[in-house]
Amino acid sequence: MSSLLKNCWKLSRNLPVTTLKCYPKFLPSIRTNTTETEKPETRPTIRRITTDIQTVKDLGLYISGCLPKYVQKVQINAGDELEILICPDGVVPTINFLKYHQNTQYISLSDLTAVDVPSRKYRFEVVYNLLSFVFNSRIRVKTYTDELTPLQSIESIHDAANWYEREIWDMFGILFRGNSDLRRILTDYGFEGHPLRKDFPLSGFVEVRYDDEYKRVVCEPLELTQEFRKFELSAPWEQFPNFRLAAPEESKEKDSSKEKDKK
Amino acid sequence: MAKVLKKTTGLTGLAVCEYPREKLRIIYDRILRVIVHFPKDYVYRKAVEDLAKERKNIIEQNEDVAVIEQKIGQGQIEEVIISAQGELSLIQDMLSQKPWENLMEQAPPNQWAWPPHK
Repeated sequence: MSSLLKNCWKLSRNLPVTTLKCYPKFLPSIRTNTTETEKPETRPTIRRITTDIQTVKDLGLYISGCLPKYVQKVQINAGDELEILICPDGVVPTINFLKYHQNTQYISLSDLTAVDVPSRKYRFEVVYNLLSFVFNSRIRVKTYTDELTPLQSIESIHDAANWYEREIWDMFGILFRGNSDLRRILTDYGFEGHPLRKDFPLSGFVEVRYDDEYKRVVCEPLELTQEFRKFELSAPWEQFPNFRLAAPEESKEKDSSKEKDKK
Repeated sequence: MAKVLKKTTGLTGLAVCEYPREKLRIIYDRILRVIVHFPKDYVYRKAVEDLAKERKNIIEQNEDVAVIEQKIGQGQIEEVIISAQGELSLIQDMLSQKPWENLMEQAPPNQWAWPPHK
């Protein structure tokens, strides 16, 4: 009897025809409702501005009223982010004021970075992001400089600035006066150039490879192996569409002059 | 209750102050003495003077530290002392920097334009 049952069971397993499987519907109402009726979004992808804009405006006016010697412009960016644009000589007094004044208390330096815009007279924009724990607010201080003019370091006010300024020196080549340890921080030993400048080529200037002859790693000026190809060394994505026609004009003229010589 | 000293502030590196009221009053007195050297219609001077006077009033009217902390509303009284000390050092810095004067340097044209001008 048992063997018969077993055989039957085996047969039923091997048979290709199977009975329709029926899954129970869990909470069928939700499934149908999502497509039919649109609920108001509880978690929208765009950040909704909840802070009171008037207080942000008042704070900006108050700071510019306290430091009229340094503040060139006050603006609100991205809805509610207060930005204070100052002249380069006012960096230390402004950051000092924002840190120690009782109505601001921006104790924490959350970020310090730079932006390179080659078309401007002072090509680098240096950006300080500050955070106040007491008032739970953030502020951005911006100033400008060029390749040769050093900015005053704010290491005496925020210790965190030491490494941030090293990073900016490494990536952009902006000098900071008064930084105790201004060395490269991200790039390799013996690296030349500042990689985040807009005029730094995408491929770099040098090539590092292992040489069988010397039995060591050698560093050489970059040689591109394909001869008859014109390399586009600028970035493949357009950061600034306004500059689309700016740089290549010169190189084209040079090329055409060479061709004329050959002829 | 006011005489029972709390054991810790709960914040690293911040010790409990034994006589916070006296200490805070001394600092605010010094602030009010130094701030006189600023020009009279300067926004910063007005703000600091008002704040120092208001807080000094609170300290003088109340004995209990907990009540003072609640009325000032910026955390524990030790933190308020630190911020007041910072203000005092800032005033001394600002006296030498003179930030109430006219703008040092105008931004070159299109420096702050975004997206960047051609």
